[in-house]
Amino acid sequence: MQILLFLVKVLIFPGALFTACVGLFLAGIDRKVIAHMQKRIGPPIRQPMYDFFKLMGKETIVPARANKLVFLGAPIAGFISLAIVMLFIPIFGFTAFSGTADLIVILYFLTIGGVALIVGGSSSGSPYAGIGISREMVTMMSYELPFVLVLLSVARKVGGSTLAFSMNQIADYQAANGSLLFSWSMIPAAIALLLIIPAEVGMQPFDVAEAETEICEGPLIEYSGAALGMFKLNTAMKMCIMTGLFTSLFLGGIRTGTVVCDAIIFVAVCAVVTLVCITTIHAVTARLKIEHLFKFYWTVVSGLALASLILVWMGL
Amino acid sequence: MMQHFPVLAVMLLFLAAFLVEIFGSKNKVIRNGLTLLATTNALVMTLALIKPVMMNGEVISYWMGNWAPVSGYAIGIGYEVDALSLFFGILVTATFWLSSIYSIGYMNKDHHLGHYYTLFLMLSGSVLGLVFTGDIFNMFVMIEIMTFASVALTAFRNDSEGALEAAFKYLVIGSIGSSSVLAGVAMLYSQCHTLNMAQLSSILSGGLTPTSVVAFGLIVAGFGVKSYIVPFHTPAADAYAAAPTSVSMVFSGMVNKAGVYGMIRMVYIVFRAMDHSSVQMLLAVFGAVTMFVGVTMALTQHEFKRLLAFHSISQIGYVITAVSLGSALGLTGGLFHAMNHTLFKGLLFLCAGAVLYRTGTTNLDKLGGLSKKMPQTTICFLIGAGAISGLPPFNGFASKWMIYQGIFTKALTSGNFLYVIITVTALIVSVMTLASFIKVTQAVFFGQLREEHNDVKEVPAVMLIPMYIMAALCVICGTIYPLVSKYLLFPAANASLNVGDYIDKMMGAGYAEAAGVPTMLVEPVTFSFWNPVLWLILFGIVFFAAVIVILLGTNERGKILTAGEKPEAKYATFFSGEEEMFSQVGGSDLFWGFKKNWKGYYKVFTELHSGIVTDYTSYTVIATAIIVMCLFIFMR
Repeated sequence: MQILLFLVKVLIFPGALFTACVGLFLAGIDRKVIAHMQKRIGPPIRQPMYDFFKLMGKETIVPARANKLVFLGAPIAGFISLAIVMLFIPIFGFTAFSGTADLIVILYFLTIGGVALIVGGSSSGSPYAGIGISREMVTMMSYELPFVLVLLSVARKVGGSTLAFSMNQIADYQAANGSLLFSWSMIPAAIALLLIIPAEVGMQPFDVAEAETEICEGPLIEYSGAALGMFKLNTAMKMCIMTGLFTSLFLGGIRTGTVVCDAIIFVAVCAVVTLVCITTIHAVTARLKIEHLFKFYWTVVSGLALASLILVWMGL
Repeated sequence: MMQHFPVLAVMLLFLAAFLVEIFGSKNKVIRNGLTLLATTNALVMTLALIKPVMMNGEVISYWMGNWAPVSGYAIGIGYEVDALSLFFGILVTATFWLSSIYSIGYMNKDHHLGHYYTLFLMLSGSVLGLVFTGDIFNMFVMIEIMTFASVALTAFRNDSEGALEAAFKYLVIGSIGSSSVLAGVAMLYSQCHTLNMAQLSSILSGGLTPTSVVAFGLIVAGFGVKSYIVPFHTPAADAYAAAPTSVSMVFSGMVNKAGVYGMIRMVYIVFRAMDHSSVQMLLAVFGAVTMFVGVTMALTQHEFKRLLAFHSISQIGYVITAVSLGSALGLTGGLFHAMNHTLFKGLLFLCAGAVLYRTGTTNLDKLGGLSKKMPQTTICFLIGAGAISGLPPFNGFASKWMIYQGIFTKALTSGNFLYVIITVTALIVSVMTLASFIKVTQAVFFGQLREEHNDVKEVPAVMLIPMYIMAALCVICGTIYPLVSKYLLFPAANASLNVGDYIDKMMGAGYAEAAGVPTMLVEPVTFSFWNPVLWLILFGIVFFAAVIVILLGTNERGKILTAGEKPEAKYATFFSGEEEMFSQVGGSDLFWGFKKNWKGYYKVFTELHSGIVTDYTSYTVIATAIIVMCLFIFMR
């Protein structure tokens, strides 16, 4: 029974299936809204799902230069790690595993998602992928600093000293004291996290790693069929995870009591966050260069996060 | 019976060293047999001590020539093995055992192997002796043997470029470290009239005189040199790169850990200085600087083994920072990370050795695409790289998790913003480590194979076995760390925090209490880990994913196609419609987008790493002076 419950949590809710569906849904909304912003009609919201299932039915070609095991294993490893991350993010009142949710674990499992893309691209042996992974890694280094600062300021604000990085504690704190977004010292950190989300999911203007027009999707260049579909799914899942992380870090505290209502509100809030930080920014900006991206994150975004951390540290 | 094991393990290693030189310089079988016998014996004897020391909490003591203490004064040399010693002892013997297996395959192209194994066994005996001894002067003697065996082994391939230079640097800087330990020991002896560490600890618990503070500073600096914390790290890069890889693995895996052991033994047990926040801060700052400088310098390296050497430095920074926290969580995390570093860095060095063995180079710009030719090495390397970058399910994640928790808890409880900065540094360094290993992966194992490496093969089994053992341990220690911590880490951490037992066993019951050392047991550390049950889930998902893949594989339309003997056009790599050509995206400058933004930093630090021994000597001396002065001013 216990194991069955585990499997339900891991595979269906809030694990793999839920994350994948919400992610694809968010990706669909993103495409639809951005089309309207650009005076186009755009695809139906279900389009990313169609794309995914279509790719799953295509043949997967492993290039002659590639290392087959790593080439095919990487998307699966990324999928597994991203499905695990969602288990650690509380959906308002509901947490899959009480007492184990932890910011550091989230940070590292998200990293695995990126590493899977990098190692997979690297193993394909394409020079385009080589450039792509270089950029992807630098992007990762760029947003990691502000990301860490944001997480630390949240941890300090919530301030338990025994389990410093507990997600549950953050959820409980917000249930008792209101959402963190509404305490003014946390606002810079919230903005910083909003700016980190597009880089984490690889959206413009931070999509240097996959820049279709210059390096033909970089790490993904040699991928096809089911493996490509998995990577596309991973990107969508990241969208769900990152917006969900924002929701539970800064907009938590809503507790209806039933899991279904919580989940519906959660998805709705995630959609709003997606519109704010992914769609809008995507619509109004052009792609940066990699060195500018790095500089932007280590100065502006880190500065915002650091400001928040210092304010919180002084007890404000 | 049991109390003879530590001294036998050490003595037989030394004995084998002489026997190898006498009987084995010509005969391969005798040489390898003796070496394996001695290292296996040491490993078995150390493992046999787990039950009494780790599980039953005993402390094993042994007086050489039965020179037991007379009226409360220790005269003879004593061996004393508590859980902390044994923890490091297990690491030492396991590392040397694996390295001796690997050497059989790896060194078979070299000459004068009698000398190699003699030095190798001397090194192993001295490190094991350093860890097991209870006498501070004996410790110094072991440091000396260790340093000189290391120097000679660094220069073993003295026909290769840079080996003699590296040995010279090692010799100079290492001697400064040994000298400052010796000076510290001499000062301590003048103050306390004893050299036994247990007795020193009980005498020094009465309060530190100014002289013993200086002695403390010198000893800390000396062990700092041995563990290569920045700015003492300068010879490490050259030495690890120049030494034969089986030795580099031992250097990085254990010889610098001996310095860490000495540091913990001195700071926690002999001087019990962890109550002073100045000592904590000093070590924390040195640790943070070490991990940062190590990893940033590693990012610019063009040479596989040099890069690994800088990562060794960086990881030791983690250990020192964790140890400096003075909390049970920090100490446990530090010990765990020391152990994990031995495993994954050993593994990575062995992979580098495998590459060197087959291709004859470790230059990142001259390699590429080896994963097709050496698939097993590639998998081992990826496991090691994942572990050192701290990715879950590997062991590096578990220990780094504990270290982050430890540092940030310290920041919250002490209210000191410095520890927040250190937390951020530790987390960022981890990402940079990842970046650095992505670079190696791309430059060595993936990308395109060079023509001159077309006939490269997988390394022989005798080299693969140690790699597999270490890779397996990396995964096992990452998944069953509750067991590892119960039987290895918690006893070792408790032994460092409860000094009374250590003193009593050596000097007779009631000695510690009479000297005013608290004998009260610090409560065994308990804290909730990240739940290992989650691994069950992981396997559940892997199963799920495997099912998906199998279903897709049987699906006629979505099957996986791989190139056959004669590749068709669709398996070729995309070149914008041009014909396929050689185009390896080189490893050494993969992250220019990052380096461009940091060019000021790199300019300064590349100039500082000038390669000139005089410069390095002056850093060492200046840093020693700073440590002594800081401690002298703030500690009292």
